[in-house]
Amino acid sequence: MMAGIFMALFLALLLGWFGQRKYALACLVVCFVLAVYLFQWEIYSPETGFRMPWLKTWLPGPERLS
Amino acid sequence: MNATLSPSTQRALAGLNYLYLLAMLFVIAAILSAAMFMQYAKGELPCPLCLLQRVALFGVCFGIMQNFRHGFSYQNTGYSLMFALLLLVVSVRQTLLDIAPRPGHEYIGSAVFGLHMPVWSVLIALALLTAYALKLAILGGDEYLEKADVKSFPLIDKLATILGLYVLVLCLINLVSVIVQCGFGECHTFGYVLLK
Repeated sequence: MMAGIFMALFLALLLGWFGQRKYALACLVVCFVLAVYLFQWEIYSPETGFRMPWLKTWLPGPERLS
Repeated sequence: MNATLSPSTQRALAGLNYLYLLAMLFVIAAILSAAMFMQYAKGELPCPLCLLQRVALFGVCFGIMQNFRHGFSYQNTGYSLMFALLLLVVSVRQTLLDIAPRPGHEYIGSAVFGLHMPVWSVLIALALLTAYALKLAILGGDEYLEKADVKSFPLIDKLATILGLYVLVLCLINLVSVIVQCGFGECHTFGYVLLK
């Protein structure tokens, strides 16, 4: 997948350099969509989903304010 | 507002706009070069999210290079901003992933000036977005930018061509490197898959 993303990216830069704007933009869109998909795949956990339970947050209670 | 500006002032502002873009391209190329130096010289293999941050930086370069190669357009600015946002989202998530030390999760690679690479990426993304906001606020919103071709600034044009080619070569090296590191499957930081 990562190789595909970089391939699309390189093609976008190369085609854009030589003025093939339509094809370059198509490659850029493919690169962007694949990158977003891979990002979501990388951060997804079967146990916690997209949440980050290691970050503990709480509302300050009265005892903490005193 | 700029209809009242003289042609020489408009030309100077257009030149400043291209100079600004050239500086941004230079900084991004330097950042990508530094990341590759850490990979090849220090043996710090990039994680999948680190590679996605490189993709985002190259995406920002795409918009800037298009402005130099085929005339200024706010559409190109839009592409760069999209990838700058992607960089921010990926780097913030990676920073939050490793911010609380726990087994199997710590910052990958060595710290640079006390900050690890994902944290640097957050700062870089914020700097890029700020740079674009300032550029649009100070130099943007005017037709003269679209009319002024970079070819009328020969030195900036030449430097932009050299820098653009350098970015293309960097991207090619990254493509080969990713294939060697990950093959066509999932990426890991254990080693180069094709060299085992």
